[in-house]
Amino acid sequence: MAERYSSFEPKGTRWFLQRITAGFLIVVLAFHFMLLHFVNHAYEITFMGTQARMSQIGYFATMVLFLGTATFHGVNGVYNALVNQGLSGTRKTAVKYTLVGAGLLLTVQGIRVALAMTGMNVTL
Amino acid sequence: MSQSYDRGLVEDFGRWQEFSAGMWAWVLHKFTGWVLIGYLFTHIAVLSTAIPAATGDPAVYTGTLQSLEELTVVRILEVGLLSVAVFHILNGVRLLFVDLGVGLGSQDRSFYASLVLTGAIVVASVPTFISGAF
Amino acid sequence: MSTQIAEEQQTDEPGTGQPADAEAEAEREENEYAVPEWATESEDGPGENEDTVRLEVFRYDPEVEAKQEPRFDTFHIPLEQGMTVLDALIYARDQYDTSLTFRHSCRQAICGSDALFINGSQRLGCQTQVQDLETPVRIEPLPHQEVEKDLVVDMSHFYEQMDAVDPYFRSEDVEEGEEQRQTRENREKIKMSTRCIWCGACQSSCNIAAGDNEYLGPAAINMAYRFVMDDREEETIKQDRLEIIEQEHGVWRCQTQFSCTEVCPKDIPLTEHIQELKREAVKKNLKFW
Repeated sequence: MAERYSSFEPKGTRWFLQRITAGFLIVVLAFHFMLLHFVNHAYEITFMGTQARMSQIGYFATMVLFLGTATFHGVNGVYNALVNQGLSGTRKTAVKYTLVGAGLLLTVQGIRVALAMTGMNVTL
Repeated sequence: MSQSYDRGLVEDFGRWQEFSAGMWAWVLHKFTGWVLIGYLFTHIAVLSTAIPAATGDPAVYTGTLQSLEELTVVRILEVGLLSVAVFHILNGVRLLFVDLGVGLGSQDRSFYASLVLTGAIVVASVPTFISGAF
Repeated sequence: MSTQIAEEQQTDEPGTGQPADAEAEAEREENEYAVPEWATESEDGPGENEDTVRLEVFRYDPEVEAKQEPRFDTFHIPLEQGMTVLDALIYARDQYDTSLTFRHSCRQAICGSDALFINGSQRLGCQTQVQDLETPVRIEPLPHQEVEKDLVVDMSHFYEQMDAVDPYFRSEDVEEGEEQRQTRENREKIKMSTRCIWCGACQSSCNIAAGDNEYLGPAAINMAYRFVMDDREEETIKQDRLEIIEQEHGVWRCQTQFSCTEVCPKDIPLTEHIQELKREAVKKNLKFW
C-alpha cells in the first residue's frame, strides 16, 4: 500500500486545518457580525469609520487572518463537497487548480482592499 | 450476473422525506457553506471600492455601501445572510463536538437546538437589521 | 471469551426468527400453487382487513423479457403475531409467486443476508416486525447497489471495500499455538465493532458512499477500527492499518450524517468509530511535524 500515497502529504492535514480554521472563524465571524451590525450599524458605514478601525494594527491583523482562514475554509469546503460527489481524474485536478487560483485571487484582492482601507494607495 | 439493474440516484430524490436529523444537518450545512463562500467573493468585490476611495474621493466607498444599504432587498438579504451564518456557526460547533467524540448520542437533539437557536437569534436581530429601511 | 459467546447468541427479538410452526406448515402444503386471484392483483379485495398486510415488492428480472421493466407487485399476507418482514416475504414466495427472489438464511439477524430497503430505510427483514410498520409495506432492494433480480443486489463492491482493510487478525511475533490474551478493557473497547454481520445496510444508507465509489464506507472503516483498537496487534501493524484508512477516500470522506449509525441492525456506533479513527490518524501525523 505504501507506494500509493506520499507520507509527506497526509490526507488528514486538510481535514485538521478545516477544523482549526472553523474554531477561529466561529469567534471572528460572530465578532464581525456584532461589530458591523450591532455596534456600528451597516447603513452608517463611511470610509472614515472603516479607516479608523483598519488603522488599528490588531484589528487589521485580525481581519487579514479572517480573510485567509475564511478563504481556506470555504474553498476547501467546496473542494471536499465535490470530491464527496465522486469528482475524480482530470476534472478533479482541473477543479483543484481553479479553486486554488480563485482562493489566491480572493486573498490578494482582499489584502489590497485591507491596505486601501488604511488609506494606502494600492492602485495598480 | 450478465445483467444487472442500476437504479442510479432515483431513490435519492424520493428519499428526502426519510432523511433523519443528521442528514438534514449535513444538507443545511452544505447549503449555508455554499452561500457563505459565494458571499465572501461578493463582499470583497463590493469592498474593493475602498481602493479608489483611498486615493481620491472617499464617497466612492461610502456612497456605494450606503446606497446598497438603502435598498430594502439588500436589508432582507442581510437577514438571510445572518441566518445562514448563524446556522453555519452553531451547527459548526455541533460538528466540532462530533469530531471530538463528544455527545454523539444526542447529535439529533443538538441539531434541533442549533435550528431553534438560529431562529431565536435571527428573530431577535431583525429590528436592528431592518431599522431605517422602511 | 465467555462474553463473546454470550453476545453472539443474543438476539434482539427472541423468538421472531423461529420457523413457522407445524400447523402453518401443513396449511401451506394444502394451498401450494393455488394462488387466489385477490391475493396478488386486486387493490380492494378481501385482503384489505385487519388480519392481512399489504406488501409492495420491487420486482425486476433481466432474464425474462416481460420482467425487465422494474415494477412493484402487491401481495396480501395473512398477518400473524410476531410476523417479520422476512416471514411475510417467505409467505408471498411460497404461496403466491415462487419466482420472487430474495436472500435469507439464519432468520435471526446474524447471517446478514436479508438487508432490505423497507419503507424507506435499510433494515434486516428478519428483525423488522410487520406490525411496527406503516402499511402498505414497501420492500425494495438496497439502494446504491445494482439489482441482480427482485430484492437481490450485487454485493461484490461492498465485499471489495471490506477486503481492502485486511479484515483479519495479524500479528508478527506470535509463536505457533501461543494464546493471544486480551484485557477485559480492550475487549470492551472493540466489543461493538465486532458485531458487524456484513449486511451492507450502512453502506447503502451512506450518501457519500453513493456518490464516491472509492470511499471505503462505514462497514469497512468499522472493520479497520476493530483491528486498529485491538491491543494484541503490534504497533507497526496498527500503523499499516491507519495508513489504509487515512487515504483520501478513507475516513476523511465521512461527513457525520449518522445515516449508517441509524440503520445498523446491530447498533454499532459507526460514526463514533469513524471519528475516533480520524483523530487517531491526525495524532499519528502530528507526531511527525
